[in-house]
Amino acid sequence: MMTIKDLPLEDYFTSGHTACPGCGPAILAKVIMKVFGKNTVIYTPANCLLVFGGTYPYLAWKVPYHHVAFENTAVCIAGIRRALKRMGRDDVHVIGIAGDGGTADIGIQALSGAAERNEDVIYIMYDNEAYMNTGIQRSSSTPYGAWTTTTPVGKVRAGKTEFKKDVPRIMIAHNVPYVATACISFPNDLLAKLEKAKRIRGFRYLQILAPCPTGWRFPPEKTIEVGRLAVETGMWTLYEYENGVMRINHKPKMIPVEEYLKLQGRFRHLSEEDVKRIQDYVKRKWESDLALCRAYGGCE
Amino acid sequence: MLAAQALASAAFHDGYYGVAFPFFGAERRGAPVLAFARIDREKIYQKTQIYEPDCVVVLDDKLVDLVNVAEGLKQDGIAIINSSKKPDEIELEREAKVAVVDATTIALEVLGTPITNSAMLGAFAKATGIISMDALEKGIMDIFGPRIGVERAKRNIEAAKKAYESTDIGVCKGGRMFEKGKKWLPNWDELPIGLATRALKTDVGLVGIGSFVENKTGTWRTFRPVINKEKCVNCLLCWFYCPDGAIKRVSDGVEVDYDYCKGCGICANECPVKAITMVR
Repeated sequence: MMTIKDLPLEDYFTSGHTACPGCGPAILAKVIMKVFGKNTVIYTPANCLLVFGGTYPYLAWKVPYHHVAFENTAVCIAGIRRALKRMGRDDVHVIGIAGDGGTADIGIQALSGAAERNEDVIYIMYDNEAYMNTGIQRSSSTPYGAWTTTTPVGKVRAGKTEFKKDVPRIMIAHNVPYVATACISFPNDLLAKLEKAKRIRGFRYLQILAPCPTGWRFPPEKTIEVGRLAVETGMWTLYEYENGVMRINHKPKMIPVEEYLKLQGRFRHLSEEDVKRIQDYVKRKWESDLALCRAYGGCE
Repeated sequence: MLAAQALASAAFHDGYYGVAFPFFGAERRGAPVLAFARIDREKIYQKTQIYEPDCVVVLDDKLVDLVNVAEGLKQDGIAIINSSKKPDEIELEREAKVAVVDATTIALEVLGTPITNSAMLGAFAKATGIISMDALEKGIMDIFGPRIGVERAKRNIEAAKKAYESTDIGVCKGGRMFEKGKKWLPNWDELPIGLATRALKTDVGLVGIGSFVENKTGTWRTFRPVINKEKCVNCLLCWFYCPDGAIKRVSDGVEVDYDYCKGCGICANECPVKAITMVR
């Protein structure tokens, strides 16, 4: 199994990009490229990663890189993969990296189609839980209670009133070869999953939580800490679904969610009742993840 | 951007008209950005960017070395600069009236973060005399209050007051040369099909894949990480977690590449043996 020490020195996502200090997705892009290396084609739709990874004619990517429209990620990578196959290049990994808005909202029909056709591509959703690129608007992946510019804190309502859409389960329902959830704060788990995604053929979906200091309103040095708390409080579960078998990779310590929420300005306004509602949600989420895992044969 | 809005709002409280707007580039938080404010006794109909300002406010003195901040500044205009230097130690393109305040130190003392916009507004009030401190307090509360809460807005007012009291006005040195901004402007027949960018070495630097390495983001930084090699256990977590690839693996451990380090502090926060400290 690959560990941090085995990663190559060379970066195929270079320094000099213009992400905010402490950017979670920037860490993820660097790590993805360290694992996949030179024989890779990258596609990103509109998202922060597109903007901070390149401003024409400059690019931080050191591999062939494509950008088309917001909703097209899955269909474009499928097309690139098929063209490469036609050229006899089976050794090239085709990866689409989209944000949560570009996946859970705008890109979901193309994603569902490509998954159902079992296209031989890797689709990575970096989940920073809102449209950060356009200035922090809510997406269907934004958690309950979170402030965004489109779920403002007022007298009648405060923050988002709906819970987070569970896209990994939608992908499990497509019965693709590989679905995994990960978080940048758990390096060994993340590396193992990226490595596995590199090895498996067919449609692979990874959803990786990548905290955003600017949009979540926490100091930039806390990015990893916040991600770790998301997992240890049970807000985010680390699991994988491989050829019909689901495994939970990390049993959360179930720290009270308050510890996670209070680090972030986007939850500052929450009432005691809201916190309780989120705690209940976490409990239900963990129980249902566990039940699903049992149903798919990976947990006792 | 908030500062420009607070300034325009303060202008209203002093009986002026005020307009403020930012210039949005593709950069992110911490990167150099522009915002404009117009203040007038008459109604303001001009909504363009300002090319010949009466006053330039520079929130970060590292910009003085990189950008010609006095470009277009009116002959009797004033540059207000966040710096720990004295006015006559500042060097611009030409001699000009400057006001200097150490806003970073003030912001760190009063706010606990190096966000200098409110302090710089205090310096503006002192240096220009256009806006009264009273109006500025109201302006800051108008704009900062709903965003960050009344308590933190009050601390920003305190920072502005402190800056007002410690602003130093004088004349700077001139004669500094700046290169004109260089851009890659290919002819039609040099442009690749579909606007694809190949990796090219042009006379203004690299373009295409991997060319961002020439963009040195180290200038964004306020604090820099320093590694204590004796404490370091070479776990490589800082190397893994650095969003900017600014931590390099070397034969005997890790090293910081200050050309790119944006000073986020993740490395210091995550180091399991506390071998990394952030210093100014």
